[in-house]
Amino acid sequence: MVCAVLVMAQTTVPPVPQLTLDSYPSSTRKALEPFYRAAVARPNDASAVGSLARALHAWDQWSAAHDTYVRAQSLAPETFEWQYLDALVLERLARHADAASALERALQLKPDYLPARIAFAEALFDAGDRDRSARAFEALRGAPAAEPATEFGLGRLAAAQGRHDEAVTHFQRAVALFPEWGAAYYALALSYRAVGRQDDAQRALERHAQYGARWPGVDDPVLRGVTALRDDADTNLRRGLKLAEAGDLEGAIAAHEAALAVDPSIAQAHANLISLYGRVHNWARAEEHYRAVVALGFNLGDAHYDYGVLLTLQEKWSEAAAAYRLAIAVNPRHANAWNNLGQVLERLRDVQGAADAYVHAVEAEPTFRLARFNEGRMLIALGKPDEAIGELQKLTEPRDAESPRYLFALATAYVRAGHRAEGVKWASDAKALALQFGQNDLAAAIERELATLK
Amino acid sequence: MMENTVKTTSSVVFVSFVSFVCFVSFVSFASFVSSSEPLFVESAAATGLTFTHVNGATGNYYLPEMMGSGVALLDYDNDGDLDVFLVQSGTLDAKSDASSGRGAGGCRLFRNDLTVTPDGRRTLHFTDVTERAGIAVRGYGMGVAAGDYNNDGFVDLFVTSFGATTLLRNNGNGTFTDVTAEAGVADTQWSSSAAFFDYDRDGFLDLFVARYVDFTIAGNKLCNDPVGVRDYCGPRSYRPVPARLFHNDRNGHFVDVSEAAGINKAYGAGLGVAVGDYNGDGWPDVYVANDATPNQLWMNRHDGTFADNGLLSGSAVSPTGNPEGSMGIASGDFDLDGDEDLFVTNIIGETFALYVNDGRGNFEDARAKSGLAAATAAFTGFGTDWIDYDNDGWPDLFVANGAVNIIESERGQPLPYRMRNQLFHNTGRGRFEETSAIAGPAFAQAEISRGAAFGDIDNDGDVDIVVTTNGGPVRLLLNQTGSRNHWLQVRLEQPTANRFAIGAWIGVERSSGPTLWRRVRTDGSYLSASDVRAHFGLGSSPAINAITVQWPDGTRERFSGITGDRLVTLRRGSGKP
Repeated sequence: MVCAVLVMAQTTVPPVPQLTLDSYPSSTRKALEPFYRAAVARPNDASAVGSLARALHAWDQWSAAHDTYVRAQSLAPETFEWQYLDALVLERLARHADAASALERALQLKPDYLPARIAFAEALFDAGDRDRSARAFEALRGAPAAEPATEFGLGRLAAAQGRHDEAVTHFQRAVALFPEWGAAYYALALSYRAVGRQDDAQRALERHAQYGARWPGVDDPVLRGVTALRDDADTNLRRGLKLAEAGDLEGAIAAHEAALAVDPSIAQAHANLISLYGRVHNWARAEEHYRAVVALGFNLGDAHYDYGVLLTLQEKWSEAAAAYRLAIAVNPRHANAWNNLGQVLERLRDVQGAADAYVHAVEAEPTFRLARFNEGRMLIALGKPDEAIGELQKLTEPRDAESPRYLFALATAYVRAGHRAEGVKWASDAKALALQFGQNDLAAAIERELATLK
Repeated sequence: MMENTVKTTSSVVFVSFVSFVCFVSFVSFASFVSSSEPLFVESAAATGLTFTHVNGATGNYYLPEMMGSGVALLDYDNDGDLDVFLVQSGTLDAKSDASSGRGAGGCRLFRNDLTVTPDGRRTLHFTDVTERAGIAVRGYGMGVAAGDYNNDGFVDLFVTSFGATTLLRNNGNGTFTDVTAEAGVADTQWSSSAAFFDYDRDGFLDLFVARYVDFTIAGNKLCNDPVGVRDYCGPRSYRPVPARLFHNDRNGHFVDVSEAAGINKAYGAGLGVAVGDYNGDGWPDVYVANDATPNQLWMNRHDGTFADNGLLSGSAVSPTGNPEGSMGIASGDFDLDGDEDLFVTNIIGETFALYVNDGRGNFEDARAKSGLAAATAAFTGFGTDWIDYDNDGWPDLFVANGAVNIIESERGQPLPYRMRNQLFHNTGRGRFEETSAIAGPAFAQAEISRGAAFGDIDNDGDVDIVVTTNGGPVRLLLNQTGSRNHWLQVRLEQPTANRFAIGAWIGVERSSGPTLWRRVRTDGSYLSASDVRAHFGLGSSPAINAITVQWPDGTRERFSGITGDRLVTLRRGSGKP
């Protein structure tokens, strides 16, 4: 009997987790408490328990969500949702083999749920079960929405087995289907490297750096139901950031204001709104948020800097300089603040001050090309062309849309230093590059300079 | 009567059987009950190694408070045993970033007073000799690097900090002198791990210093965990700061060559540094573990410059191309194929990476198939290294773990960041098995571990570990497995330059298995410096065919007539080319 109890203990369903709700902020407590109380009151009610699991999932409480999903599954083993969502949580916990098992059970209940089929194939790969993963990806062929994931998955399988030529083909198809897929470009780069195509590998890595963590989405109503549970300050802030990135300034403002309506102490939201209101030229509201973040006493570096940008947009040069100096006092390595300070000092005709500011910007962030370009310009203005050449020479690679004006500045420095032929060479390079990037006005200006030199 | 006896006997047997079955069941899920002698015994207090790290946390959630500190194992007095240098942090001054380290006593140096009686009995004891040694490092310390930068035969120390760095020159008479300013290595940015290495092979150790982010106390940001409770911000809330490379000009002075060397063309939030020859060309390269930014593999171009090949090498990010929260590094030949592989610790949910070198500096991410991914998914790892803890010839792994953000299950507790450390046994087939459960009670203890240094502290032939804890006591894990297999320790000597031969590559050739290769180093792990002696587990046979040493300048020598179970000192020129 004792043994039976002990054996049972090894497979016991987790109880409803104990949440220390008192330690949560009131907004989170208010959101989670109804779910928690219902599950505690009715621990054998699959719907109540499952709802708590979904809420914990929405608030990124992975371990507690998993335990609660397991309980919900034991109470209602035929409910697809609990199996599938638990699998997603297990993936977040990097428990890929367990996730694959959960997805397999889920697919027995709903074999056609595409997000689950994709997740299953991926989990099998991450768990090291390559044969089954390959079969699962092959089975996805013919589902257009799954095509990017299928190509990517088959590519990873081929690469894992050393078949890099085949992997390259799959990854190329993946990025053709979703051109902003950083991960696919990374995988493509490694396979290019493996087959000796170093230049292609380098280009693929540049795309990977450009697109970062972007991933092709597949419509997932079940998961959407979980994320919709959460409408707290953090969710609104994140939504606001995404909208800002997408260029929807009014939407971003609304989301940030919604975040502050829930929690007025989110310094980051106030700081972001300085910039957002500034971009729509609502100076008064921007200033209000600046005062708010200063009063809170956090994120001051960003706040002073963004206020400086706000004042710069209004052409209030002295006040902008003061704001940038405040940002620098908070963080002496604030490269953007140094650079912008340099820009306003130029407006105020303080060339030496501007040059010093740009030097600080470059020191803080040696890869800050714009700041180094500005430093070079100031050195030319101060009659120090040789020093300017030293700095501007460092900007000749990479060749991108910013490069034409950098090369033109370098040409100017060479000419001022008395090296006319070198100056003409760099000016010609600059003009060709400007035309390549459609910068016709710049190309015309360079051409006029070249004419005077010739 | 007989029936009663039979019944009684049957009852007794039945109860015994049930008990036995239950006992088996109980052991199978009470996996941390160790039924035999532990592999490691925690002995810090018992040996006088009494030190408590102070992080100065006062509820402001300043990022430096979460980082912990490092430890160095070095023989500062050249008496043949490893002494311990522990980095102290202290109290952060809210009014300035000059970090006072007030109230914490500063960094401490403990002299090892190991005695071994004629019958082999060992008594390990440490004495705090900090004041006697003239050490007065008062900043908010982070890490420490160890190396003889002036080639006088005594190991020096470089201490990094949130604030000013410190170079302590070992005077050779039991004392140190702060020579930071005159050596030209002063820096006030937040520095983390550092490494002494001879990048230009001129016989003088240069210095690579990783730096973290541009956090300032005045610029502290407000961050919350997923449920909205205040917690520490991560590195993404700030901007990374470029690393520094200092060239030793041979006159006790260094020159900052960061820009000339190309080190500042790419950088992340640097926390771990390891040096190795990752493409086998005879020149030392540098691997940097960056937190939430891609790791870097600085390939030595032999002309004083480096190029970052991290991403293309396959050792910079996760398998899906995402940067990870990388902190600690173990660099070494775990699969005995003659090249240096990398094990990198990351944060919870990411798993720890095993990058397997193909010999040319290209890496395959083998964390999943090695078994390490599944075993590390629930942990945030810091200090780590390859150590052959059982001397079977296969490098094993130790990881010091501790969270940086609130652990769900510990919410509401005073320090909700505690995790247990881990020990992994190398099966020799590309896979690892976690052996924490039999390693001893110290491995069941959940703490906020950070730095770790490795070396044979009691000179008994096995590798011991010193672990620092954030805001807590130092831990000394004494290895108890030493005599179960054979071993060899090698100390190298060069007469005038790079006296300890940092960067040399030592190969122990044996008939009983593949050649064992180890690099002479003190770097790696997290914020820490390990024993400069190279340790080899020889398995069941002490027989050694020969030892090949590739000296730091690329020349090779072979040494023969050496058997195991001893420390040997190999002097350059006393072998055969």
